[in-house]
Amino acid sequence: MGKLFDFKLIYEYLPAILARIHITLFIVLVATIVGILLGIFIALARIHKIPVINQLTIIYISFIRGTPIIVQLFIVYYALPAILICIGIDINRWDKLNFVLITYALNCAAFMAEIIRASITSVPIGQTEAAYSIGMTKWQAFYRIIAPQAIITCLPSVGTNIVGLLQDTSLAFTLGVIDMMGQAQVIGARTLHTIEGYIGATIIFIVLSFLLEKVFSLIEKKVTFEKIVGDGR
Amino acid sequence: MKFDIAFMFTALEAALKYTPITLILAIVPLLIGIILGTFVAVGRLFKIKILGRLLQAFVVTVKGIPLVLQIIIINFAVIQPVDYFSEKFNWSFASKDIDRIYIVLTALSIFSIVNMSEAIRGALTAVDKGQYEAGYSVGLTRTQTLKRIILPQAFPVAVPMLCNNFIGLIKGSSLAFILSVTDLMNGALITATSNYKYLETYIAAAIVYWIICITIEKASFILERCLNVKGRVI
Repeated sequence: MGKLFDFKLIYEYLPAILARIHITLFIVLVATIVGILLGIFIALARIHKIPVINQLTIIYISFIRGTPIIVQLFIVYYALPAILICIGIDINRWDKLNFVLITYALNCAAFMAEIIRASITSVPIGQTEAAYSIGMTKWQAFYRIIAPQAIITCLPSVGTNIVGLLQDTSLAFTLGVIDMMGQAQVIGARTLHTIEGYIGATIIFIVLSFLLEKVFSLIEKKVTFEKIVGDGR
Repeated sequence: MKFDIAFMFTALEAALKYTPITLILAIVPLLIGIILGTFVAVGRLFKIKILGRLLQAFVVTVKGIPLVLQIIIINFAVIQPVDYFSEKFNWSFASKDIDRIYIVLTALSIFSIVNMSEAIRGALTAVDKGQYEAGYSVGLTRTQTLKRIILPQAFPVAVPMLCNNFIGLIKGSSLAFILSVTDLMNGALITATSNYKYLETYIAAAIVYWIICITIEKASFILERCLNVKGRVI
């Protein structure tokens, strides 16, 4: 090792790390979409207090919130093949990225479910009653009256959650997925200039989180503006 | 592969043995975070020249860095210079003599300061502006107003967020395994190195983390209720 720290190397390694950004973004995207869809189901099941499912999801959400994602990642990584082999499906040769995707989607779903549930229950019950009183069905009331109001309430929390998810993806490298972190590690192992690679990854993460936050605050502003206009005030 | 429940209890025992390390890794940054985070929040709230800007830049930047990267970077930022200089000047002291737990503590503290400052800032802005003005109007200085009027009102508001951050720290401390600090998770994992029963150990670790987090959540609930009752009496 010649120099202690070389700024030029950060610049030199940045393209190689940036070339792996799609994996990070892919994880975030899949986890968010699956998480929101699954989260809506869980939230509705909890609001309508469907027996058994309600209790199961309470335990599920509590577990996801109460354990580190790294533990969840490894539990999925070791447990899923063991469970699936019992019913005759062999996934030992699966790409490790799949396990990461499953874990992050499940993790995201639990947090999204809580956010969505909170925002749906935050809509005053009078709104639902008003919708019923003018003859809307249950589905119409939800779709036309409750959901639009709930979405506005849940947007900021969803944004924070997705930024958190982006940061959590930095743990995928512990399974050996070569995302940005994995690439930084590979560069470090090859050149012994470990810190420069990691600083490169850090810069990308900072920029990405910053951009995501900006995008969400923009959406928020736009949606709240429309809400005021829509009120006719 | 069969699930070995007996082994899970062995791992559980090991995990429990190292739980104090995890608690230290979470509680020390929690306290540092609350104290320094309050200063950061106040500095940003009053928009102190330059310092306010610097603090904001610090918070926004550090918030964007995943905790795992913070730990790794601080680790290398400490190790490389120490090794470099110890080789150059023939010190008897090298990086391997540094207990890695301090590096994890540093990283978690920085993480905690940033998150706490955001929580406390939120709580400070939740206090009505009239309270500040009322404090000034009876002749209190800015520090006095903060200490006697604002912070006592802001603290109950911040409690749920602080407890959330505490849970985040407990979970974040699991990343200490990257520097092979023997905390709850690593303690459990050590038992599996001989027989590769990793699933059992991870589940054991998960159970312990789960119990800790549920306890904190419940404590937060009780604390919140107590503070609310007190607030109503006043």
